[in-house]
Amino acid sequence: MAILSLAFKSLLNRKLTFFITLFSIAISVTLLLGVQTLKTETNNSFLKSISGTDLIVGSRGASSQLLLSTVFHIGNTPNTIEYKTYKKLSEAPAVDWAVPISLGDSHKGYTVMGTDLSFYDHFSYANKQKLRVQSGSIDEDIFAIVIGSEVAKKLNYKIGDRVIVTHGGGEIEGHHHDNIPFYISAILAPSFTAIDQTLIVSLEAMAAMHTDNHDHFGALPGETILPSDHDGHAAHESHEDHDHEEHVAHESHEDHDHDDHAAHEAHDDHDHTAHSAHQDTQDQRVARLLKVKPEKINAVFIGLTSPQAILGMQSYINNFKEEPLSAIIPSIALQELWEFFSLAEVALNIVTVFVVLVGLLGMLSIILMSLNERRREMAILRSVGARPGHIFGLIIGEAGFVCLSGILLGVALLYILLAILQAPLAAHFGFYLDINMLTSYDLGILAIIQLSALVIALIPGWLIYKYSLSDGMSIKF
Amino acid sequence: MINLSNLRFAWQKEAIIDISSLNVKKGQHLFIQGPSGSGKSTLLNLLGGVLTPQSGDIEILGQQLDELSASQKDSFRANHIGFIFQQFNLIPYLSVIDNITLPCTFSAPRKAKALKRSGSLEKEATRLLAALGLDDADLLKRSVNELSVGQQQRVAAARAMLGSPEIIIADEPTSALDNDHRQAFIKILFEECQKEEITLIFVSHDSTLKDNFTHQVNLQDINQVAIKETL
Repeated sequence: MAILSLAFKSLLNRKLTFFITLFSIAISVTLLLGVQTLKTETNNSFLKSISGTDLIVGSRGASSQLLLSTVFHIGNTPNTIEYKTYKKLSEAPAVDWAVPISLGDSHKGYTVMGTDLSFYDHFSYANKQKLRVQSGSIDEDIFAIVIGSEVAKKLNYKIGDRVIVTHGGGEIEGHHHDNIPFYISAILAPSFTAIDQTLIVSLEAMAAMHTDNHDHFGALPGETILPSDHDGHAAHESHEDHDHEEHVAHESHEDHDHDDHAAHEAHDDHDHTAHSAHQDTQDQRVARLLKVKPEKINAVFIGLTSPQAILGMQSYINNFKEEPLSAIIPSIALQELWEFFSLAEVALNIVTVFVVLVGLLGMLSIILMSLNERRREMAILRSVGARPGHIFGLIIGEAGFVCLSGILLGVALLYILLAILQAPLAAHFGFYLDINMLTSYDLGILAIIQLSALVIALIPGWLIYKYSLSDGMSIKF
Repeated sequence: MINLSNLRFAWQKEAIIDISSLNVKKGQHLFIQGPSGSGKSTLLNLLGGVLTPQSGDIEILGQQLDELSASQKDSFRANHIGFIFQQFNLIPYLSVIDNITLPCTFSAPRKAKALKRSGSLEKEATRLLAALGLDDADLLKRSVNELSVGQQQRVAAARAMLGSPEIIIADEPTSALDNDHRQAFIKILFEECQKEEITLIFVSHDSTLKDNFTHQVNLQDINQVAIKETL
């Protein structure tokens, strides 16, 4: 104990080198644990993206592309499957439920997904959790749009706000489906999956937006097509952040009845909660009546009656006669994709291990450098009765103390960093960083670092032991 | 008190010490004169039990040192011998009081004796410092680096005396001091050793100091190695 207190006082006497060593070890520990935490958390949120879905069916192609586009909404989905294929699959005996998924449009950079109401009943993530509504309610109206929590937060949307969907990823200017405006009926609670950054619409609305020639939708019997009132319309559109020029391009579709329009104007002062007050556009009215399903969709999420049916169903789908399909098992595909990412993780791990090693070597060199100037100190200690073992212990104790305080500081830094980063990460990247206690694996790593420090300190310890035997009490400097 | 006989020590096959006999009695103040290179520090390390002779006996306080293990020698030294060196005797990162009480870390008997005498280590340290002419109470808490060389040597003497060891071995304790301080230091050291009945072995190359001592030995006269070399 006395030796440890001596080691401590000796360290404090060399504050500068002590703190430099302390911080280099602390930072390396923070880095190492940070990478571990990030790895665990990304792995968790990655694998939690979808659950309860037994198969994802898309047109034949790379399974990773199908997974990325349907679960993470990353990348394009140029390939489509027939809607009637979906109908057929959903009637297969082993299929408990099937949900159609249609992708390809966006709103201000966020994915717009077309599906039907059964999506909310069957889609689950993490531990079979269903999506929850934070505000509003899921409306069966075909022009209701349900938005993810992050979309709502970032774009500052409220229930009842009007939304115009952009064709494609928004790369082409002016391709807005402004013949079909949506109103927000529900905002989902955060799920920390891609759904948070997604707007969900009905398949019928999707079909209405993508019908090849709007003109054929035309006017309903008894309605007259009138050119829009320009001024009134502009006032209406400005609310939706619309470019006037773009609007002109679509003018012909926006056939407002004068009276209707006046009524609309009256309501335009942000009384959006009552969506019935919104007047449908001509195209919307047509779509409402026709309730056309799209001819093509991008994918089908399938739940089976029994897990035993998965492989059989997968092979049935992969050999589907009417059109080339492929079916992936999400849990397996996610795992495969993760293993691909884990290559980067291994590289990162190697780097952090070296960072820790550099920290420890820094400590070693600083102790070694201090040895010569401390031979006098050792001789004095010997003269008052210290054994060579005490002198050895002084060095080992010093290394142990520096490393231990480095580790403690490093852990503290990690938690401070996590606490600081948690909110911005969730807000900006939808990445929810769960702050957990250190796992036994982490503690194992820390124990190994501490042990390595003690082992490394054997080198200067052994040197000083030798010095103290040969120097004895003679002060040679 | 201290008896050396037929003491031989060689370092890497080179003979350094060869003393046929040296006896020091209790309470004696012995001056050992020897220029550097005469085997002085080797002799001190042998007396302290830090070095082990190849042959011959060292008996201190009736204890044959070669009967003790290395760590027993370390505690024997801690319990019975106080050392004062030339300079930089003190551990720079410890306060004056911590430096003085340092032997107590390694010797329970000396700690017990110090406590018995003054009640607390701090009081005992203050008492010793006052006896050595340093009666500034603030001094105890100060960093040793703020002291003058003369003050440092007196702190070192206080450390050597703490817990009343039977023997004090001083190795050139005054060589860093100017003449006035040197005489004052020796005088105080003598007085205290007398009072505490401590046997003092004072080693120096400086022959002008030897008149202060009742007993004197020239290392060159008793060390056969040195005699051979001068021949």
